[in-house]
Amino acid sequence: MSDGRGRALAERLGRLRHRLRESIARTGRIARWEVRRSAGTVDRKTVIALAVMLLAVGTAGFSAADDGLGLEREIYVVGVDEESRYYDVAADSDQFRPVPLADVIAEHDGDDIVVHGDATVDIVVTRDGRIGRVGENGAAAYDEFRTAIETYNANLMADEEDHAAAYPVSVTLEYRDRDDPRSAASGADGGDETGEKTGAVDGSSGTGDGESAADDAGGDEPFQVPAIGGGGSGSSTGTPGSIAPPFPFTSLVLAFLFVVPMNFVVQAYGSTIMDERVKRRGELLLVSPASRSEIVAGKTLPYLLGLVGVVVAIALAIEGGPVAVAAALPIALLFLAAAFVGAMFARSFKELTFVTVTISVALTSYTFVPAIFTDVTSIALISPLTLIVMDLQNEPVRLGEYLFSTGPFYLSAAVCFLLGLGVYREEDMFAQKPIPAKVLDAIANRVRGSWSIPLLSILFLPFVFASQLLSVALLFAVPQSVAVPLVVLAAALVEEIAKSIHVYAGVTRSRFDATLRTAAVVGALSGSGFFVGEKLTHVVQFVGLPELAVGTAAFGPAVSSEPLILGAVFLAPLALHVGTAVCSAVGASRGRAGYALGLLTAVLVHVVYNLGVFVLVA
Amino acid sequence: MAILEVTDLRKVYGGFTAVEGSSFEIERGEVFGVVGPNGAGKTTTLKMLAGLIEPTAGTAVVAGHTPGDAEMQRQLGFLPEESPLYEEMTAIGYLEFFADLYDVPGDVARERIHDSLDRLDLEHRDRRIGNMSKGMQRKVAIARALVNDPDVLIFDEPASGLDPLTTNYIIEFTRELSDEGKTIVFSAHNLFHVESICDRIVIMNDGRIVARGTLEEIRAAHGGTEYHVYATVDGSDGLPDGRGPIEVSRENGQVRHLVADMSAVEAVRDAVEADGGRVTDIQTQTPSLEEIFLDVASEPTAEGEP
Repeated sequence: MSDGRGRALAERLGRLRHRLRESIARTGRIARWEVRRSAGTVDRKTVIALAVMLLAVGTAGFSAADDGLGLEREIYVVGVDEESRYYDVAADSDQFRPVPLADVIAEHDGDDIVVHGDATVDIVVTRDGRIGRVGENGAAAYDEFRTAIETYNANLMADEEDHAAAYPVSVTLEYRDRDDPRSAASGADGGDETGEKTGAVDGSSGTGDGESAADDAGGDEPFQVPAIGGGGSGSSTGTPGSIAPPFPFTSLVLAFLFVVPMNFVVQAYGSTIMDERVKRRGELLLVSPASRSEIVAGKTLPYLLGLVGVVVAIALAIEGGPVAVAAALPIALLFLAAAFVGAMFARSFKELTFVTVTISVALTSYTFVPAIFTDVTSIALISPLTLIVMDLQNEPVRLGEYLFSTGPFYLSAAVCFLLGLGVYREEDMFAQKPIPAKVLDAIANRVRGSWSIPLLSILFLPFVFASQLLSVALLFAVPQSVAVPLVVLAAALVEEIAKSIHVYAGVTRSRFDATLRTAAVVGALSGSGFFVGEKLTHVVQFVGLPELAVGTAAFGPAVSSEPLILGAVFLAPLALHVGTAVCSAVGASRGRAGYALGLLTAVLVHVVYNLGVFVLVA
Repeated sequence: MAILEVTDLRKVYGGFTAVEGSSFEIERGEVFGVVGPNGAGKTTTLKMLAGLIEPTAGTAVVAGHTPGDAEMQRQLGFLPEESPLYEEMTAIGYLEFFADLYDVPGDVARERIHDSLDRLDLEHRDRRIGNMSKGMQRKVAIARALVNDPDVLIFDEPASGLDPLTTNYIIEFTRELSDEGKTIVFSAHNLFHVESICDRIVIMNDGRIVARGTLEEIRAAHGGTEYHVYATVDGSDGLPDGRGPIEVSRENGQVRHLVADMSAVEAVRDAVEADGGRVTDIQTQTPSLEEIFLDVASEPTAEGEP
């Protein structure tokens, strides 16, 4: 008997393996032909011209990034003797070309400097250390020379083996939460207690007056050149001068490079999908032995692989590691998934342009803006770009952080593909319906039996999670009294929509009866499913986001260890989600207006609940 | 043996019923015509057979498989009303792509493609499809439907919008395919083409099948043959009810009696001779499919299938 079962299982596995192999083969064929077909849209001359252009731009770009454009190389001439302590400044600077003083000065009498009539010189450094401006460019050259001196001095300091001697002032930066009472106290006390910190952050007070610092430090020191003119930024003082806003500009800009090509690729990918629909060309693929998922996978694969190639190339170019690549991939995947579902919903290329631009702007903002705060707050981890910035700064990335950052991206991409696949069929692909109607169709196509209701509630959680994270990111800088109610409202609205939209879609597309009993059942199923899925969002605990007040507003407080509170905290959300989902479902069973009313009621109940929990527990 | 069986097929879009209760069987090697006015549900029916549209109710079995099944798709060639081709590809490249998709080995595919294109008399095979005439594009579309050597072909308006020469070419080609034993489901607005190549026909109206059978059977059920009896005198007087002519008129000095069957012809002849006249000519008139179609399509369909 068990042998028979084993054989049957082996046969089933064999068939499954065979089907899988066939499916992969068909997907590969579609992908290969997609590349060939797309290649046919661009003629050979254009390809060569584009390749040459890209090569030229790439070479010039990297050359410029490496050495600069060289436009300002030796644009100023300074007359200075080799014995002068300013000679090395001019020699080290790219912008200056030192020439012997005797070659340019004809006469030097007191404050007056007379240069040779045919001499080309912008500034001169006299043998007694005074600096004079000559000609029209003299003033600009003088300013640049002053900057060059500061740079030269900073470099000298940096090369000094005795660090303490070079940088006698040490500054310790410590960021405090805005809600931290000690931070408030420090502000109220005018910075006395935390003078070290506030001085450092402020920058100007910490670094002091550049001129005096330069005067103090300069001149007498054998290795340092005295500053000239009106001071400058005071960076010559050393470490305090190195204090900058806590934004990892360089890493951020480099990380942004990963997102740039994605914006272009989604345009091409969206057009390909749209092309199948507008000219009904996809119809013939649909009657082939290839399944819908194989067709979509085959059409997506070349673009995904292209993006992977670009991501890897960028990572290699900017010396990013595997983490940078692994963090960029979910972004690429979500770009493609969003473009796919957008192209499936758009009715024309005009509409598609609007959709893809919206996707580009939204996803670029979502990834880029939080990453600015990489070194400031854990909120930054809502964007995988933050992981790239961390990787470029040689900071370790933990698995929990990776999952937290990329999880919503992977899951959202999966849901987008799933929804798009739902309408990748003759009846929907070629129908001219408004986008909201297509969205409902896409969702309704996934409503198959009562079990699909809680499943969809769970599947929508990545969007809920991402929306709530975004609201936290957008509002965390806003005063708490404003931010918390707004976040609470946004969280309630998003959650209630996620719990009810598929119920509404199911009712409007006749997936189930519009009776009160059915509405109550599907509402309860939806609420329960959402509750189960919501527990998964506790991954935020890994990164400490709930420690923020706005984080608590969005995701709820951390669970207490008290059994009673634990039980209440566990069951109360279940009751809330089931109750509000039933409310929306009953509204949905009464039509569009009924759904709007039911949803509004559910949101209000949810807001009251959230505020109550926030006030009582948090 | 039926290669295609359709039972109570139904398709509803929102509140609109596109196809209602369609049932028919198609024998292997048969050319089966589906005709009807615009919006009758022909294309929806054909797309349900091809697995493009999921029926709301009912079943369709093609070559032992349900539509949408990969094995069924391998045995089916579908030619939609339009020719939605990849215009940036060459004809050969396009056909090779679909052959690849249907798991046709490369050498077999090449031979099959060139054979089809030879028979369809398509030149300039390496030209991009976008640069081809509409007739050439239609030929490429037909060749694509044949690339997997299917047992069942579904042709929806194969000659739509083509010039008469190309149209005749395609109709002849369809006839050749039928002679080779292919089962063809054929839909066209040009009823002369349907009449000339289809073994059996269904006429659809408002989503329902309103007539079915061979052309003769449909004629018999919807009007049948009429007889025109030309005589020197009017023989309709004195004939009992139900035996007299349907219509009597004068044409070129003759009296024309329109009657429904041969017994009525005999009755009119006897009556004419009894009046001292004689029958000069008897003509048989069979209604064309177009006439039957116009007759049937104008009838209300609320009562369901006839």
